[in-house]
Amino acid sequence: MLKEIFKNVFTKKKAIPFPEGFDVDPDQAVKVIDFQRKIDTIFHRSLRIRFVDAGSCNACEWEGTALMNPIYDIQRFGIDFVASPRHADLLLVSGPVTRQMELALRRTYAAMPEPKLVVACGDCAMNGGIYQGNYAVTDGVGNVIPVDGHIPGCPPTPTAILLGLSTIIDKFTK
Amino acid sequence: MEPILDKGQKRRDHLNEVYVEVDSADFRDVCHGLFIKQHALLRLMFATDEREKDGLFRIYVVFTVPGSDAFTIIVLPMKEDVPSFPSLTPMIPAAHWYEREICDLFGLVPEGHPDPRRLVFHEAFPANAHPLRKDWSISDAEKQEWGEGRAVKVPHPFLEVTGEGIVQIPVGPVHAGIIEPGHFRFSAIGETIFFLEPRLFYTHKGTEKQFEKLGFADGVKLAERVSGTSSFAHGAAYCMAVERMMGMEITEKAAAVRTLVLELERLYNHIGDMGNMCAGTALAVGYAKGAVIKERLMQLNVRLTGSRYLRGVNVVGGVTRDVYAQADDILKTLDWATKEYKDFMQLLTGSVSHMERITNTGRLSRDIARKLGVTGVAARASGLPDDIRKSHPHLLYDRLIFEAHTYEQGDVFARTMIRAEETECSISMIMALMESGYKGELAVPLKTAAPYASALGYAETPRGSLFYWVMADRDGRPLRVKLRSPSYCNWPAVPFAVHGNIVPDFPLCNKSFNLSYSGTDM
Repeated sequence: MLKEIFKNVFTKKKAIPFPEGFDVDPDQAVKVIDFQRKIDTIFHRSLRIRFVDAGSCNACEWEGTALMNPIYDIQRFGIDFVASPRHADLLLVSGPVTRQMELALRRTYAAMPEPKLVVACGDCAMNGGIYQGNYAVTDGVGNVIPVDGHIPGCPPTPTAILLGLSTIIDKFTK
Repeated sequence: MEPILDKGQKRRDHLNEVYVEVDSADFRDVCHGLFIKQHALLRLMFATDEREKDGLFRIYVVFTVPGSDAFTIIVLPMKEDVPSFPSLTPMIPAAHWYEREICDLFGLVPEGHPDPRRLVFHEAFPANAHPLRKDWSISDAEKQEWGEGRAVKVPHPFLEVTGEGIVQIPVGPVHAGIIEPGHFRFSAIGETIFFLEPRLFYTHKGTEKQFEKLGFADGVKLAERVSGTSSFAHGAAYCMAVERMMGMEITEKAAAVRTLVLELERLYNHIGDMGNMCAGTALAVGYAKGAVIKERLMQLNVRLTGSRYLRGVNVVGGVTRDVYAQADDILKTLDWATKEYKDFMQLLTGSVSHMERITNTGRLSRDIARKLGVTGVAARASGLPDDIRKSHPHLLYDRLIFEAHTYEQGDVFARTMIRAEETECSISMIMALMESGYKGELAVPLKTAAPYASALGYAETPRGSLFYWVMADRDGRPLRVKLRSPSYCNWPAVPFAVHGNIVPDFPLCNKSFNLSYSGTDM
């Protein structure tokens, strides 16, 4: 599992190049520590996320929804969830990716404009979790599309998702 | 109910379950008799592969007669060389999905079913794939060839509506909001929905097969991950089934914790659901307010159990945490939530645009609800007093005073009001549960299952009645775990409720049912 994560993080990284269109120097981005400022610099104050449920139990989705409530209020960081993959910078995928959702996930990924990031959200998105080895699942997002990072948890709390996104963006800018 | 059952050849009683084995000639008559003459509800229907025991497949149909605590379970044994059974659907529409599911997962064909298409598997799965048969297996190479986007192996067409001015609107499986996947095919005349066909089972994860891989004790972890927002109820119903099968008696303390947490789960769900309905009517303030109350209640869940979804509390034999130790915290948070909830309800009922939008929208008639075996909030909003806490008292529910709230209208308004009344009811039930002390250990030691023992477990989730049926094999490992989530019975009712409404009202109708896709797709 760990090997797979490293493989995804290191080898597949090339498939998603640094966003040239966003005219920020990678060295410059590394110095930015603050999450808010990072989003300001790299994504021009807007990180758009498309959330796709690829067979989760719905807990991850509710945590994603909770991020938009007045308590977490993710929009204040310039992050928002969008309705179409064509508007998205980042694809957040939950669930072990069932065989019947595989095609929909691939198509959603293909519909996103470059540069794009993929983050697997939750334990079953990582490696199938408790569903690992079942006939109806593909054991994780990494087996279907290239993944840039994982947020563990069953489900990850809204804070964990926020922190995970921050760490992944941090890695991505280095 | 005895006269109906005199055709039964073998009768076996186990707690409140009455198993009656019939042969294929009597199967229909017995089931129809129960449904028509006794007004019995079809609670669940499933097949088992018991070939290792006596070379037979069996179909189980679980009925309950209103006003009685007993479950009447009609059992139809079936030989391997004649893999078919008489379909009940023409007389009992509630059997519709169950029979198609049995056909997909076991390859047992319902003879005379009006809709013989597949249900669980879409077109890319081979025709001879019946995963719940014990002798079925799949190689890794074959596994790669399985799944959506591969070659069409069995055609799976949508029902088509043709005529002048009818347009098809396909939606999904990936939706605009952060929700679960499912495909909806609307046939609309202008804005009005004439026909809706949902295609679900995109999130089919082979849960029932996975239960067989895990032992009975580990199964509770999987049960908690079937449907996120009903995690605790799933865990409780699963544990109840296993405990009844193994002959374990949980302590009063464990029962009290389970009852309390079940009500806490209902509380955060109902308030959250009412808030979500505001998103369907564009009442942003209501949505935000509902979300805040829900969030605070979920933060209480973390403090009580370590999980926002109340996971990890249930174990077979009892519970892991004594939530009564944090009584002060519960009371304080509930006090705050009650106050906020009152404001919230005032806001909803005082908003003309919201009330106008939800009244008369998405009507589900009592007759259709009964025929389709609709359960929970949706059934009660259509005038059916279906509440498993009341009809089959378990845990501490027989000590609590409460009503099964019903409304007659069957519209979105009725479903909102049912939730509102149940929220108040849950708060008072939690208060009542906190008043007295309960004795006993948190959990009792695990026993082993007798060969081929079986039992039902049930709970009332925020969405409706939930059933688990478990059976052990020769060695006491799971032979079959059947789960039936409330959403499974309520999904077929959604197309009837939205008929004649406009397409923009569909999200509102859908939210008022608040159905779980993952729980349905298993």
